[in-house]
Amino acid sequence: MKKTVFAFIVAALVLATVGLWIFSSSGHFKLVDIAGFGIIILVVAFAVFIGIRRLTSAKRGEPAEDELSKKVMRKTSSLSYYISLYLWLAIMYFSDKLDYETHTIIGTGILGMAVVFTICWLIVNFTGIKNE
Amino acid sequence: MNNRIKEYRARLNLTQEDLAKKVNVRRETIVFLERNKYNPSLRLAYEIARVFESKIEDIFIF
Repeated sequence: MKKTVFAFIVAALVLATVGLWIFSSSGHFKLVDIAGFGIIILVVAFAVFIGIRRLTSAKRGEPAEDELSKKVMRKTSSLSYYISLYLWLAIMYFSDKLDYETHTIIGTGILGMAVVFTICWLIVNFTGIKNE
Repeated sequence: MNNRIKEYRARLNLTQEDLAKKVNVRRETIVFLERNKYNPSLRLAYEIARVFESKIEDIFIF
């Protein structure tokens, strides 16, 4: 339950930061900024989805986490770690060829990692885990 | 590994939710088990066998 509340707090903080970013900026957003907002909102929506799933389980009297959900999270973490390494490698390669600022490149990398994690979780969660 | 959880559950007239509560897992885990998308731990296999009052090898087929 504590983890669920923590996930909701983090999601709320991320949304608040994005809101602050939007209101404090001049209002002229590039396509890259809009794409960034979109990805952040998707990742937050994913965190909220996980939180709601856990709350629903708790309401039904089931544990918020069990052996399958822990294994899914473990496999997702290891898989997304490997993919993220290649993502950073690709970013390093393209950063020489494209003229972007350092903070844009790092931001893209962090958002990319979040997207990779979300995609990996969806794949692992819906395909299942076999110990074979 | 295949299993006969669905068959045993139907015999006892248990829903997936009931079985999940009895073995202390989430309902999704029972769904995955029945679809053969997840191989349970020995502890969970034992718990399921205990609920069905059967042997592990009768429910889980290697």
